[in-house]
Amino acid sequence: MKKNILTCLLLLLLCVAQAYAQDLKVTGTVTSKEDGLPIPGATIKVKGTTTGTQTDIKGQYSITVPQNAILVFSFLGYTSTEQSAPASGVLNVVLSTEIKGLNEVVVTSQNIRREKRTLGYSAPTVSANELTQGENPSVLTSLTGRVAGVNITSTSNTPGGSTRVVFRGGSSITGNNQPLIVVDGVPIDNSSIVSGANSLTAVDFGNRGNDIDPNDIESVTALKGPAAAALYGSRASNGALMITTKSGTNRAKKLEITLNSAVTLSSVLKLPTFQNEYGQGYMSGSATSAGYVTGIDDASDNFSWGAPFTGQVQPWGQQIDGVNQMKPYSALPNNIKDFFSTGFAVDNNVGIASGDDKSSFYMALNSLNSNGIYPGNSDIYDKYGVRFNGKTKLSNNFTASINFNYNKIQGNTPSNGQNANGIWNALMQTPRDIPINKMGDLGNKYNGYNPITNTYGFYGAFVLNPYWVLQNFSNLDDINRVTGDVNLTYQPAQWLSIVERVGVDSYSDRRKLITPKYDFTPADESGSGLWIDETNNGSYEIDQYNVNEVVHDLMITASHKFDNGFAASLLLGNNFRERSTTSNLTSTNTSGGLVVPGWYNLNNSNGPVDVLTDLISIKRTVGFYADLNLSYKEFLFLEGTLRNDRSSTLPLNNYSYFYPSVSGSFVFSELLKNTAIGNFLSYGKLRSSFAQVGSDTNPYQLLTTYGSTTVNGSFGNTKFPFGNVSALQVGSVLGNATLKPEQTRSFEVGTELAFLQNRFSLDFSYYVNDSKNQILSIPIPNSTGYGFNTVNAGEIQNKGIELSLRGTPIKTSDFSWELYGTFTKNNSDVLALPNGVSQVVIGGFSGMSIVAAKGYPYGEFYATTNQTDAQGRTIINPATGQPKPTLTAQYLGSYQPKYQASLGTTVRYKGFSLNALFDVKHGGVLFSDTKSLVDFVGTGIETGGPRFGQPFPNSVYLDANGRSVPNTNIPYSVYNYFTSVISNTPGMDIVDASYIKLRSASISYTFNKAQLRNLPFGAVTVGVFGNNLFLWTPKSNAYVDPEVNSSGAGNEQGFDFAGTPSVRNYGFNLKVSF
Amino acid sequence: MKRKYNNLKRALFIVLVAAFGFSGCKKILDVNQNPNNPDHADPTLLLPTTQAAVSQVVGNSFQVFGNIWAEYWTQSPVASQYKSMDQYAPIATNFDNPWLNLYRVALVNSDLIIKSNQAGLDNVKGIAYLMKAYSFQLATDAFGDIPLSQALQPTVYPNPKYDKQQAVYDSIFVYIHKALPLLNANAVSPGGQDMIYQGDMSKWIAFANTLELRAYLRLSNIDPNTAQAGIAALYQTNPTFLTEDATITYTSTGGNENPFYNEAASPTLGKIQNVVASSTAVNAFTGNNDPRLAKFYTLFIDKVSPVDSLESIPQGSYIQYPNKKVSTPSPLVGGRANDPTSATAPVKLLSAAESYFLQAEAVARGWATGNASALYTQGIQASFDATGAGDATTYINTAPDGLVALTGAASVNAKVKAIITQKYYAMCGFQGFEAWTEWRRTGYPVFWVQSAATTIAAGQKPLRMLYPNTELTSNLNYPGTVPITTPVWWGLANP
Repeated sequence: MKKNILTCLLLLLLCVAQAYAQDLKVTGTVTSKEDGLPIPGATIKVKGTTTGTQTDIKGQYSITVPQNAILVFSFLGYTSTEQSAPASGVLNVVLSTEIKGLNEVVVTSQNIRREKRTLGYSAPTVSANELTQGENPSVLTSLTGRVAGVNITSTSNTPGGSTRVVFRGGSSITGNNQPLIVVDGVPIDNSSIVSGANSLTAVDFGNRGNDIDPNDIESVTALKGPAAAALYGSRASNGALMITTKSGTNRAKKLEITLNSAVTLSSVLKLPTFQNEYGQGYMSGSATSAGYVTGIDDASDNFSWGAPFTGQVQPWGQQIDGVNQMKPYSALPNNIKDFFSTGFAVDNNVGIASGDDKSSFYMALNSLNSNGIYPGNSDIYDKYGVRFNGKTKLSNNFTASINFNYNKIQGNTPSNGQNANGIWNALMQTPRDIPINKMGDLGNKYNGYNPITNTYGFYGAFVLNPYWVLQNFSNLDDINRVTGDVNLTYQPAQWLSIVERVGVDSYSDRRKLITPKYDFTPADESGSGLWIDETNNGSYEIDQYNVNEVVHDLMITASHKFDNGFAASLLLGNNFRERSTTSNLTSTNTSGGLVVPGWYNLNNSNGPVDVLTDLISIKRTVGFYADLNLSYKEFLFLEGTLRNDRSSTLPLNNYSYFYPSVSGSFVFSELLKNTAIGNFLSYGKLRSSFAQVGSDTNPYQLLTTYGSTTVNGSFGNTKFPFGNVSALQVGSVLGNATLKPEQTRSFEVGTELAFLQNRFSLDFSYYVNDSKNQILSIPIPNSTGYGFNTVNAGEIQNKGIELSLRGTPIKTSDFSWELYGTFTKNNSDVLALPNGVSQVVIGGFSGMSIVAAKGYPYGEFYATTNQTDAQGRTIINPATGQPKPTLTAQYLGSYQPKYQASLGTTVRYKGFSLNALFDVKHGGVLFSDTKSLVDFVGTGIETGGPRFGQPFPNSVYLDANGRSVPNTNIPYSVYNYFTSVISNTPGMDIVDASYIKLRSASISYTFNKAQLRNLPFGAVTVGVFGNNLFLWTPKSNAYVDPEVNSSGAGNEQGFDFAGTPSVRNYGFNLKVSF
Repeated sequence: MKRKYNNLKRALFIVLVAAFGFSGCKKILDVNQNPNNPDHADPTLLLPTTQAAVSQVVGNSFQVFGNIWAEYWTQSPVASQYKSMDQYAPIATNFDNPWLNLYRVALVNSDLIIKSNQAGLDNVKGIAYLMKAYSFQLATDAFGDIPLSQALQPTVYPNPKYDKQQAVYDSIFVYIHKALPLLNANAVSPGGQDMIYQGDMSKWIAFANTLELRAYLRLSNIDPNTAQAGIAALYQTNPTFLTEDATITYTSTGGNENPFYNEAASPTLGKIQNVVASSTAVNAFTGNNDPRLAKFYTLFIDKVSPVDSLESIPQGSYIQYPNKKVSTPSPLVGGRANDPTSATAPVKLLSAAESYFLQAEAVARGWATGNASALYTQGIQASFDATGAGDATTYINTAPDGLVALTGAASVNAKVKAIITQKYYAMCGFQGFEAWTEWRRTGYPVFWVQSAATTIAAGQKPLRMLYPNTELTSNLNYPGTVPITTPVWWGLANP
């Protein structure tokens, strides 16, 4: 210790001595050309000497040099530049990046910019350019295929649709599994609040992490493990997604205006494959009975179990005013496809940036107006945004900055699911010969509903005309959101910096859910058909959600560089966070509905207004953290962090918890410089990290409480007050006053390699994440009088590998061809659950659960299915020919893919640029209610072909000794199977979720300076683009885009319950800068 | 001076951030008191919960299963909600909801009332004991062996073991006997918080006696000695029995409606008519020219044919689409989904008619004193009164299943047959579960058929309900699945 101080003193003396000998002091700032941000740690050397210094955390340097000295500015990942020391003594230098994909500066936790080489963990970064290639308005979806180890699922791929992001399989059994999203150092909310009574009737209002405009983004870095995010504490136990927005650059005060406009068209990506042999009608009897009747014609039916098509012109639908409509009895192959219209969206962003070395700003206005694929103006999404990022450096070592963003979002999202308002549900039930696409004129008495006579003329008795549904049901939302932060930095000395930052995320999400009141009787006069009344009491519901987050951080950083190649920096920080939310869900009386049709107001409630939810929730945490960074020369780096969190949600004796992390990086290629290997291997690094993260829970879990009584039936309920009788009931969840924090441990080892002057590079990681002591609300037997117990239990492990590759096989001044790809394999395993619990249900419905089951991957489907023998052949009941159901539910596979991969390419020729990116998920499964539905109504491809007299495909029956006998002669009724038998085996609606997608593609042309000489533009780029363009699925999935999910971005995934169909988008864009 | 000012600003900055960051941690973090829910409840507020929960079970899920398995109703050919009941292929999850409402709402809240230290709760506790007895009987009659001794104690017994049905019955009598002394007219009355009898203790005493009689009669096959002794002891107290229904008065206010109607009117089921008249019951009523038929069911209104008619389909024949003309259960029993007057249909926990038939059976078996024929006649008349079918005299005197069936009966069994068959008629649409349960005990009535949609062996019918899926997946002491064709302890093997 003493020796070190002596060394320092000596060093100081030496410096002083030198200062006397020389006479020019040069100061300045080194910034990055790409984003204009200062580069800390850049090296400045006097050419031909060993004299040198480094920039501080703000990119500033000061060096005393001989007159006319040449200064060499260098930083890893940037092209070195040489400049002579000016007489003025001020020299600001802009460095441009060398080769992308390596050695960049990345944004790590707390917005600290670090050289990638120093990191002991994987931290891939996606640049603005890559992010906006497909012009997807969702920044999260835009990351698909670009980062290894990340599983991204985009439900509908429409503006405002949900995107789920999970790093390395996630860590929580019932809690959040998505990474923390951090914008400019401040965490933002990424809630996905699905509307609707349950996941069978869900309305996807998207997730808030998608609100940010990708055009405002400079870069996105994925900090995948908890090691990377140790400084964010509990919330980052699933990793963190660091978004850096644009800032004004050193533009010599020149104002730069960038306009980016895109026009996008959309169409449905995948429809089920339909049979085109049989039309409207049902069947009677069984396949084996003598009285077996096929294809009974029924004009009201939603079934396509009628007779084979004949082409004969015959009446259909209702008889009204003595007249029936006539049409040929033949298939209409495109009746469903043509129901949809082309979606249309316009996306505009104007960015204005300017700045000098003292101050800079970036301001942007953006708008996105979209009208989706459903006909009419029913699926609307409008988003407006304003951003201001400003920063100024004051004379007294203070720097102040502000980031501000406001979003206004309004939309109408048609319902998913099986209720009367489910469009997909209604559409899929259209018989193969009904021209549903031509029934949009609701004034036509055969298509519409007459509110005066209260009759309906639509052909279908079991579903409503989807055009009418689109016009009369709505799910409106209105979001106002402010996010931002103020930041004050004080640097009293070169080695010391103090940062104080307060960030806010505050929004209101107000929804109006409208169901019309109607009571229609059929207009039909013929007396034929199973016409039934269509009736609904209507409802009006207002849901008000408010979320407010305040985050404060105080960070003190001290750094010192020792002369023997060692450098150290220590960060001490304090964090305070408050999250407060309110949810008020109020509706007209659930069973009474509306009094007057068409008046949507709570005053129109038939019976007492129902308060569905009235919740306030406040959570606070206080954290203290330390981060020590040590380095030796340019190749050995060690980082250790320690954090203490105190959470209001835990009991006082357990509310404080510590957790550490340690990581290291060894850039071994530095030692191989100027060797034969070094010439081939331009960069090589080994890294490893270990981290532990503690985690708290949601508020109010310590005590058992009482609530106003509602006794639920399966669908209805008895609600209090009952007349004027009030009642309370004990809550179903037992409180637990002895909760402990959760614990996630992660280990990671990896390497980064680059070859042939960085023309080829790879990044490989192996990781193991283990989360235990999870705070779970586990189901306990209802016979205990309670439904759930809050416990610390359960352990989930994720192990996997990640590989990123990038190469530039051809590179000339005019032409370049770049290839990149990723491979991800994650094995998830639920290692332990609380005593006695074999599984915890995370989604599904009564017959089909999605569970976390001990010994299985997370997200396993669990249901009854058909019995099969050892060779996988279906076992039938010889009496009926029908498959036998399993007696108990079976584990049927997880929604998590076995592996993921992506392959992308960029080709540039002069001003032309072509990009394409494919991605693959292999091996997961999904539950498809679409399959169930099209099979039930007899429109699915499986229901085509011979419908009776055939044995069940690949089936056997068991003889007296239980041996399989191949079934060649016992027929089964296809009709009975799909309309009745299969309802006992929902496992038969599990399909392979594997896919390959052309995720994005674009061609653009950038005009060069010479072409624009006489024009006021700085740059002009025009292009065509597409995203989610093509989909290839295994033959067994003839139904749906495997990414479609009815319940948004939550843990319930792979659940196609008549969800909003996904779309392909394509269009053209224009980018102009002045 | 300038320099000093600068220093001051710096100092202020540091002090400010330090104050914000490091100030009193514990106080800042003391925000975990739940602002949304109380952690204490007055037991009189728990009482209506227990009653509404029992009524929800009897009036909704057990109403559907019972009325289908008692062959009053069958699945509508144009809907599909309750197909598995007609198929005799229920799955364990079908029983999650009633089990939940019994244990997690009715029983746990009854138990919290009984355990309360609050003063002046005699009446409330007495009723709570009766709700507990009633709930346990309902549960054990449906499921057989059930958790009892270890139930409702989550911290001591997180996995309650299942007790024998016999032990459950023993406890039912204990609970009733504990209730009786508490039903004291001089204690503080719960008044309107008692949704069934508005605090009238004399009615609760009659309820207790009737429930006890019902419970002892349930043991008539398996343990006739206990049944006889118990009934004799009961009659020695000069018991009063119910002369009016034990029911909650439902209203047309949303959320306060008859539970089965409320279920059908829910946005999910959308007032779809899921149940229709079964030919089994309809033919039996028709054979006796019973005026109650048109009360229990609603005529089919035919647009084309000039005559509205009562139409039924054979039990479980929904798949055959034999006839699109089908009558529905009437609003009187809460069974017509698209008729708002269904909302006010009662749920009968015990009915007046049932009370008379129970007494008649006790007399007919020679276990109690009284006039069986008179009680039988009173039972029929009570049923006629409940349905608004008027004076029952003609029916009693002329119907083949009327008085002649009892008076002409030579054996005790024949008398019981007459009584239970009449009880079956009275319970149509009102007490399907109890009718199915009495059939399981006595084998009467004898005219039931096997559902056309059966998936089980010929000649078999459901004799119990399945344990719910929630128990299977969460209780370490789950005793294993018992098939629906296995009788409960007191039940006949081949009714």
